[in-house]
Amino acid sequence: MLLNRDTSGRRWRIRPDGPGKVTGELEYLTDLSLPNMLIGRVLRSPHPHAYIRSVDVSKALALPGVHAALTAKDVPGLNRFGIARPDYPVFCEDRVRFIGDAVAAVAAESDELAELALAAIEVDYEPLPVVDDPERAILGDSPLLYEEGNVFHRNGYKFGDIEAGFAAAAHIVEETYSTPRQMHTYMETEGGLFVPGEDGRLTAYSPTQHGFMDRMQLSRILAKPEEDIRVVSSPIGGSFGGKDELNVQPYGALLALATGRPVKLHNSRWESVRAGLKRHPMKITMKTGVDAYGRLVAHRAYVIADKGPYSTLGAEVLNFATEHVVGPYRFKAVDVDTVSAFTNNGMSGEFRGFGGNQAIFALEGQLDRLAALLGMDPWELRRRNLRRAEDPGPLGQPISVTGGAGQVWASLEGSALWRRRSEPPASAPSAPWLKRGIGAAYVMHAAGLGVGIPDPAGGRLQLRGDGKIEAFFGYEEFGQGLIASLMQMLIEMFGFAERDIVITIGDTDVVPDSGSTTASRATSMMWQSLRRLRGPFAGKLLEAASRALALPAETLAIGEDGIRGAKDGRLLLSYAALAGAAGQPIAAQTHFSYPTSPVDRVGAHYMYSYSAVAVEVEVNTLTGRVHVVDQYHAVAAGPVVNPQGYLGQIEGGSSMALGFALTEDAVMSGGHYLTKNLDTYLVPTIVEQNGAVTVDAIEELPEGDEHGPRGLGELGSVGLAPAIAEAVYQATGKRASKLPIDPALLQEPIRFN
Amino acid sequence: MAHSHEALLRSPYVWHPICAREAWHLKQEIDAGAVFVAGGTLLRTQWEAGLVTFPAHLIDLSGIADMTGIGRSDEDGRGWRIGALATLAECRSHPGLAADFPLVKEAARVIAAPAVRNLATIGGNVLSRTGDMATALLALDAELLWLNDAGTHSEPLSAWLDREREGISGAPGLLLAILPSAFLGVSMISKTRRFCAFHKAGRREAFIPPVVNVALNVAFDEGGAVADIRIAAGGGTMIPARLAAAEALTLGRVPDAALLAALHAAVNEEYAPKPDPFVGEAYRRMTAANLVAAALWKAGSDARASGEEGEPCC
Repeated sequence: MLLNRDTSGRRWRIRPDGPGKVTGELEYLTDLSLPNMLIGRVLRSPHPHAYIRSVDVSKALALPGVHAALTAKDVPGLNRFGIARPDYPVFCEDRVRFIGDAVAAVAAESDELAELALAAIEVDYEPLPVVDDPERAILGDSPLLYEEGNVFHRNGYKFGDIEAGFAAAAHIVEETYSTPRQMHTYMETEGGLFVPGEDGRLTAYSPTQHGFMDRMQLSRILAKPEEDIRVVSSPIGGSFGGKDELNVQPYGALLALATGRPVKLHNSRWESVRAGLKRHPMKITMKTGVDAYGRLVAHRAYVIADKGPYSTLGAEVLNFATEHVVGPYRFKAVDVDTVSAFTNNGMSGEFRGFGGNQAIFALEGQLDRLAALLGMDPWELRRRNLRRAEDPGPLGQPISVTGGAGQVWASLEGSALWRRRSEPPASAPSAPWLKRGIGAAYVMHAAGLGVGIPDPAGGRLQLRGDGKIEAFFGYEEFGQGLIASLMQMLIEMFGFAERDIVITIGDTDVVPDSGSTTASRATSMMWQSLRRLRGPFAGKLLEAASRALALPAETLAIGEDGIRGAKDGRLLLSYAALAGAAGQPIAAQTHFSYPTSPVDRVGAHYMYSYSAVAVEVEVNTLTGRVHVVDQYHAVAAGPVVNPQGYLGQIEGGSSMALGFALTEDAVMSGGHYLTKNLDTYLVPTIVEQNGAVTVDAIEELPEGDEHGPRGLGELGSVGLAPAIAEAVYQATGKRASKLPIDPALLQEPIRFN
Repeated sequence: MAHSHEALLRSPYVWHPICAREAWHLKQEIDAGAVFVAGGTLLRTQWEAGLVTFPAHLIDLSGIADMTGIGRSDEDGRGWRIGALATLAECRSHPGLAADFPLVKEAARVIAAPAVRNLATIGGNVLSRTGDMATALLALDAELLWLNDAGTHSEPLSAWLDREREGISGAPGLLLAILPSAFLGVSMISKTRRFCAFHKAGRREAFIPPVVNVALNVAFDEGGAVADIRIAAGGGTMIPARLAAAEALTLGRVPDAALLAALHAAVNEEYAPKPDPFVGEAYRRMTAANLVAAALWKAGSDARASGEEGEPCC
């Protein structure tokens, strides 16, 4: 079904948090203030790599209006954080390893005083050689970030006889692909308000993708029981993976406890660029062989990722790339070798797509180059090698069976955009230097955290005393439309009216731990939760109504505003009256885990979504600049929970992919950012995005499917870049293997006949 | 220390002169510690980046009426006077100015984004030296009207930019207004078939400083040969300049393939860009040459298509 406002009919709803966000009236957590609050600031290293000889905060502390100046020795608990492996120093003790590293933090009565205080802190550094190239970092003669070496993580996967495969190949393509250090560029930079309570508790109003993970990490840092910490984490002005890890929270929490006063921190864009996470830059070298018929006979991939100085989720991202460089194709032999290297560059970490974007750009580039060598239609080459529904996953693991791979292939093949490729252009280009081309790419993208990683899910429903149905989930709203999707499911799965429902998320004091809002998992886990809760919760409501009304439960139904007659739909008992009559709370809770593949391979995934993307570009050969004029996305991710949310994820994801392909790169030199702000780090504007976007949502799932809606949050951000690269090739005959595409590659001297 | 806190918290002093002469005197009195501010859109990025220190005194020009507005400069209605405080949004939407000087409108159209254009002034853009407006105005023989201790006087924009390029930097006064040449307006000289074009290439399609910008202002004679031409180019950190050798090459010649190829080579040679970490010099040269050659090619074909009546092509 082509998904848009018209085809969605009455399912196209105004999202509950929409008006506040569009008008700017909504108060985000970083908008919060308290009358007696202090301003917190962090002193970060000016050096990418240095020993710290000494830190002296006494002059800062002596300034009137400065209430705290903290360093490593002021951390009562673990002076480290990190979701997967806590090796990121809250405050560096004796060594800094990148220019975002924190050495001290201050709390003062104004922003200006806090800045003065930072300037008054005396730090004696001894600079060390800077490791700024991941390839050189893992050679024997490189300076080391850690005694154990600069190799942070390795992975690999192989099957079949790779050399025999290459020997039998009719064509072999070898290419090295490079991808940029992309920044999440959320509109709301990192920040929060940290409030010590009179009861000794601490409340952190600070955006994160997993409130309970923050609470656990803060507990470890503060040496304070988790129950004494409350994390309020929604609404969030964008995250895209970038706020899943702790950022300012340790400093806010420590400063608030040290001063006994509320402390607010809010990164400037400059500080956000300097300290924040980025997408791992990867260099991917592939050698892929194909026989004369177009069967993929051998595929070798070597991935090297620029980790930056600390772990966060870098190992998981590399594992994901290891899985996705194999992708949806039936290779005869595969040999994948991946490595992530510590460097003194910026911190890399979790980012929408999670290593898949880099892997798929390279993999799809290989398919397009092989098709050209074979003289074969690139989509036909994919068809000849595409996985079947029952095939194992990319790592040989059992995965949930869907027909998605074939469905999106067929949808794109039949799309008007793709058909236009073989037709003569409808009109001549408006100028001789404008060249058009069409390309396509294929995406198989995993969701969930994978084997061996705790991946809890769940939620709670409750009838409140005032008659509202309250839904509690531990997920976060960061713009993706989670509240709207949950609202829509509650309406459509239970029959409530929007006015009956209250949604409570993002507060560790009241919500259950539903796991992280990450890895394209929240909507499918909410759907699973509601499916599990529907019977028990509806049963309890009807049972209580049956008692209150003295009518058999089977004659009653849940509906808008209250309990209604099952046959005539007449309102018999409002939810408020039901709450009053019941006398005790009516609630139901569920807790389960994200489904995983039954294999013993950490990180292997079970649930996949599929998409196929076609794109038409116009290249201006005077300037080498590329404009995307039309996009078609075929998506197979199960039922559409919320049409607007679904479209938003695909369109929004594709806009990030557009930046990844054409404009975005946080450029570093010698461990320093050259792109320090949004005047040189360039996200696409509305002008880049004024082309059409068509989305075909393929909802069909095999009969008896238990899993329902699949992950969608990352899928749209993956396929556009390789499709653009192929479209550019079709337009200009030039292959771009490095992103963002350099206009100088596509520029040609103007010629006149 | 307490005193400096207080000073810090109270700074800057903001002065609100109500006439240009008062503004100039304030600047002379306070001297180095004072900075004129109009829209402030560029200054604030420089302060934030630490490129210049935040001044102790700001002289707010926004209350000076005779530096605002866009209007005819003389009674016979030939010239235009663009107040230095005219916003880029005003330059972009002024119907009379656009009819005579589409280059000004087109340059204003592609600078920054709507919110910036509503604040930013044409005077600020020109004095920044590296915005798009100076390139467009160079192709219009624009003059700058300065106020200083000696009173008001005008000088060609190109003369001031030449001094800047030679490192004799600094504005010789307070910029009051910008005066494009009355003889180069499109409507003044339609019989000579005058065409103009402004092209900009940046690292993004909008809201981006120019990597390269070029402005063309050309008139053809009845035989289709170039009768009069101005080619200006800028971009990056270079100070925009007329491309005199390229201009001279085209005079008296019809823009055929041979001339365009020669022009391409001449621009590539004469244009003097400065590379930065993001865009190299070769790309900048090629872009300028391509954009100039394409603009003259299009002007030539538009001239042939339009017959006797000239039309702006930008």
